[in-house]
Amino acid sequence: MRRTLGVVAAGLAATLVVAGCSGRDLESDNKSEGGSGEQITLKVAFWGDMGLDNLKAAYEKEHPNVKIVLNSGEFNAQHEDLQKKLVAGSGAPDISAVDEGFIVQFRNQADKFVNLLDKGAGEFESKYLDWKWKASQSADGKQIGLGTDVGGLAMCYRSDLFEKAGLPKDRDAVSKLWTNWDDFIKVGQEYTKKTGKKFIDSGTNMFNPVLAQQPVGFYDEQENLQMNGGPKVAFDVSMKAIDAGISANLASFQPNWNQGFKKDQFAVLACPAWMLGHIQETAPDQKGKWDIASIPGGGGNWGGSWWTVPSQGKNIDAAVDFVKWMVQPAQQIEVFKTVGNLPSQPDLYKDPAVLDYKKEFMSNAPTGQIFAATAANLKPQYLGKKNGPTRVAVENVITRVQQGGLKSDAAWAEAVKQAEKVAKTGKA
Amino acid sequence: MSLTELRPASHRPAPPPKNVRTRSWLHRFDNKTAPYIFISPFFILFGIFGVFPLIFNGVVAVRNWRLDDPTLTGWAGLDNFNRLLSDEDFWNALGNTFGIFILSTVPQLLIALVIANLLNRKLRGNTFWRIGILLPYLTPVVASTLVFAIFFARDNGMANWFLSLVGFGQETPLDWRAQKWSAWIAIATMVNWKWIGYNALLYLSAMQAIPRDVYEAAAVDGAGPWRQLWRITVPMIQPVVVFTVILSTIGGLQLFNEPMMFDENPQSASGGSAHQFQTIAQLIYKVGWKDLDLGYAAAMSWALFLIILIVAGINTLLTRRIGGDR
Repeated sequence: MRRTLGVVAAGLAATLVVAGCSGRDLESDNKSEGGSGEQITLKVAFWGDMGLDNLKAAYEKEHPNVKIVLNSGEFNAQHEDLQKKLVAGSGAPDISAVDEGFIVQFRNQADKFVNLLDKGAGEFESKYLDWKWKASQSADGKQIGLGTDVGGLAMCYRSDLFEKAGLPKDRDAVSKLWTNWDDFIKVGQEYTKKTGKKFIDSGTNMFNPVLAQQPVGFYDEQENLQMNGGPKVAFDVSMKAIDAGISANLASFQPNWNQGFKKDQFAVLACPAWMLGHIQETAPDQKGKWDIASIPGGGGNWGGSWWTVPSQGKNIDAAVDFVKWMVQPAQQIEVFKTVGNLPSQPDLYKDPAVLDYKKEFMSNAPTGQIFAATAANLKPQYLGKKNGPTRVAVENVITRVQQGGLKSDAAWAEAVKQAEKVAKTGKA
Repeated sequence: MSLTELRPASHRPAPPPKNVRTRSWLHRFDNKTAPYIFISPFFILFGIFGVFPLIFNGVVAVRNWRLDDPTLTGWAGLDNFNRLLSDEDFWNALGNTFGIFILSTVPQLLIALVIANLLNRKLRGNTFWRIGILLPYLTPVVASTLVFAIFFARDNGMANWFLSLVGFGQETPLDWRAQKWSAWIAIATMVNWKWIGYNALLYLSAMQAIPRDVYEAAAVDGAGPWRQLWRITVPMIQPVVVFTVILSTIGGLQLFNEPMMFDENPQSASGGSAHQFQTIAQLIYKVGWKDLDLGYAAAMSWALFLIILIVAGINTLLTRRIGGDR
């Protein structure tokens, strides 16, 4: 009898342990380890390569009680994960990067983030590009993020492929080939005619940089969809490029795109500063084959991120300290040098460490000068709450044209229809 | 007990033992309650992870629940379900799901039946074949789907290479993801590849239980192998056939991984540029975690639940009829 009860008790206890332990384990991560002072672990979530490996080592050396765990994931997945954890109330990283496409969504939930102004971040305001500072601010003035980088635009090109096609190789001469997008498409046609290969990776990678150059994007500041402004201009350019037959029709950041790099399926790639890191990561053996020219139509901003501190964290102060340290000029320059991300503090554009820097991978192109110059032309664009899904919807229409399922002259009506559908579900 | 002790029982009741009450209580406890305690862990876990989410999901389905707009909240009544009826994305996804479901389930079960029938004969290296046929099932679905995604790639894909051997699509290679029919075939191929072996083994184990003399008698009466398969084997393994049909109905209507990984941009969960191969499960995921509209997503999953019940019911009836139910 006693044995029966004992077994039952053990069984129930085991069940409870199984059901309960996972949660407890996760929490204990952040608590003190051992008895020697307070050991703190900071989890940092981001995507791609944000140049943190060296920074992490340096910071840990300076702060022996802080351990930094880097978690690099997929771009969209990281943002969605953050959103889920915010709603769930636990499990968010101590520090999370947020991209411009998502910052509006998150600044509308500012109470779920630490207001960095409460932590003395106000002193940084004057250092930042004005629009970059404001973009991570909620309507009632809470600052949820400190800017990391901005996406000043340029055009990356394969100088070796250009040479083979009889086009100029030198970056100044290439820049002179195209002052506007029509010229650019003409050069592409010439290239395709001579080599039989495609010139650009995809129509969507024409659409996005052109859209980034427009004063108004998908939404105005009252969150009204404005398809007939910037989006129409950008859409027409991308349709023209597809009709000209210069697009390799590869979906960006996907396996086929990565393969396209290796098989020389395209020769140019619209290049915000952060794209340099991607190229380097995707095609490491193409060192010295890439170079950077200016982009048709002048500057523009595409991408750029902020560091945020979700308020559910257990080590908020340590997290804020680390973020403040990361946005200091020395660290910003370090990141710029390792992965190419352009700092969002204009003073740094005049810093010799940035101006004189030459990127070896990109045929020693002076990336500092190139991107600092485009950053001067930056026209910030308001990105609505539904900017991300709207972009996906329009990109899908462009892909359908590329796949032959839709004629280019019927595509615009379809794009408007799809975008309106997204905009509507946002308000329902 | 010996015969000599066969005398009437004494009328005097036995002196009650001191702790008889406790003992009988314990005895009753041991007999009546203890079994329930023994099996309780299952029901507790089932309650927490099975029943509760189901009910909670039902509650969410009749509420407004938007993560991107926390102000939109409260009871929605049947709004979410009404919206479903006029949502062309939902009907498109439903069509895709059924298209892929039919393309995958029918050949899958038929081929599995034929394979099981072959394996049921005397073969050299029996075990080898039986294990071999299960191998696709052991492969993680994400891994195999990634391989298939490359297999069905537009540029440099093996499928297009095969097609080019027979002189098809040399000029413009077939973009498998671009059209409904081609995307459906590609996804159905992945599903078939994975589940044929599994179903074949189920059929095989049922077939082994059929007595040999039935076949011998049939052979004497002049029934060929096909006739034997359809008139003897299938009716006799009918319960297993019903089981596999229900399983593949559930699996087929919940199809998620394959279309997800097949997409060029898996993160958008849009199932192709024009939703050519977006399944309901994918749409639920998109509405819930991309559009952050949990109420509507919950309504969709309830709708899917009902659809699966109905389809599984219809399939069971049909299979019983085909199997020549007594």
